[in-house]
Amino acid sequence: MSKLLIDIGSTYFKVCTDKAIEQHFRDFNKDIYDDLTHKCGETIRGYEKGDVYVCSSANGGLSTLIIGLTDSYSLKYAKNIAFNSGINIIETVIYQNIEDYSIPSDLIDVVIVVGGIDSASNIFDATLFGYLDKLNYSNIVYVGSSAEVANLQKNINDLIVLPNIIDNKLHIVEENLKEYLTNLYQADIVGKEDIKSLYDITSNQIYSTPYIVNKTLPLLDANFSVVNPYILIDIGGATTDIHYSKDLVDDNIVTQNEYDRLVFKKLGVYKSKESLIFAAENNEFTYELLTHLKVTENIFEESGEKALKVLMQLAIFLVLCKMSHYKKAYINLKLLSINSIVLTGGITKVLSDEEIEDIISFFYTKILNSKHNPTVVMDKNYDIWTLGAKGN
Amino acid sequence: MKVVTGVVGNDIHVVANRLIELSLNARGFEVFNLGVNTYLEEFFDAAVETNADVLLISSLNGEAEGWAREVKLIKSKYKTLDNLVMMIGGNLVVGTADADTIVPKYKNYGFDLVFHQVDLNTGLDTLEEYLKEGKVS
Repeated sequence: MSKLLIDIGSTYFKVCTDKAIEQHFRDFNKDIYDDLTHKCGETIRGYEKGDVYVCSSANGGLSTLIIGLTDSYSLKYAKNIAFNSGINIIETVIYQNIEDYSIPSDLIDVVIVVGGIDSASNIFDATLFGYLDKLNYSNIVYVGSSAEVANLQKNINDLIVLPNIIDNKLHIVEENLKEYLTNLYQADIVGKEDIKSLYDITSNQIYSTPYIVNKTLPLLDANFSVVNPYILIDIGGATTDIHYSKDLVDDNIVTQNEYDRLVFKKLGVYKSKESLIFAAENNEFTYELLTHLKVTENIFEESGEKALKVLMQLAIFLVLCKMSHYKKAYINLKLLSINSIVLTGGITKVLSDEEIEDIISFFYTKILNSKHNPTVVMDKNYDIWTLGAKGN
Repeated sequence: MKVVTGVVGNDIHVVANRLIELSLNARGFEVFNLGVNTYLEEFFDAAVETNADVLLISSLNGEAEGWAREVKLIKSKYKTLDNLVMMIGGNLVVGTADADTIVPKYKNYGFDLVFHQVDLNTGLDTLEEYLKEGKVS
């Protein structure tokens, strides 16, 4: 029996049958279920609930605050695990400077406290508890030194304690925290009324889209003309996801995953359009790029196909900048070692191969002073998502 | 006693790094070896995460001097490293210079123990003496 695959994004939803893929712009005046059944009801009714598979990135994700001891270990490891668990919104606090940070006013879905190898002790004190008292959060998990567990359990209500994510060789231990965050994410999806109603059309687990995409990556070179190492860019309406081969980082994170995920949470062409434009206006190369594209900054005020194209081209450029040594980010990729750049999502419907190659070539020439030219692979039929979804 | 060690900067002398780890282990230290190509922030961060007593930076290709100039500034940003014993050894210049010139320079950069082109065991003997004398609280 064939499967019906449905992906709910923040801007579009996609419905894939054996015969075709449909893509629809979401009607934000309706809830997801009504919108979906209105536009694709006939297709959906042709499938049993057991043959319908749904994934979603439209729930906004969990908001996460990580309190850790150092940038190079506890914060970096926890952030890496959180990204790979499908979490988009991550704020970090270095514990020694915790009193300098303002208290976030929004409710935080999960606070992660981490720091120290198991033999390190006397790490956390009243400053942590005072900060947490003022914080508004739903869940809190501790994944640091085991020597601190009793102290924290005594002072923090409802604390979940998991094994340390830093082992005694300062290496990362992913699985326990990843499982916890993934389960929390699933619970969050199910808890959202909009998504919850989708269980009327499927009897299968609804997964987060990044989780599905990440599962596909090891299969990609068998199905596409992709050569490792590569990056996959998914520019969405609200966020931009990057999945990258681990060969592209010189890093102290040694895991069994071949691919990691990174999210730019305010880089999108629809919901996050304003912040994308703000980022563009603060990049010194933007105006040169606009000239190269034969437009002026007035394009930011416009809407329509031309403006959308320019926004997407800018998004590609800014994402590459953010991952290069030009900008110091959470992670810098060895962009001169990339053999392929894979693009998926709505961008493949808007930009041509040539338009994307043009931007990539502009980036390498201007920012990296190189003639390096990775091949561009367009996932025009959403094969990456369907490959992962079919694997469920 | 816990020692964080590694080779600073763009230096890939992995054999020397491994020998240092083996020697420290043989002397009973608990060693956290960050390997080659390590940046200063990673050294200090590792010292914080492990609650280390000693930071032993090695440099074989001579580029330590460029990095070591930043030691005081970077270390000053950490609130828990006041008692960390700072040690550096290896070949600490590009070209030639004698220890009488090099050692004061590196001490001024913030190191307690400096070994320029000194045998590894001699350096570690001195470290043990230094620790025994209680110069670390």
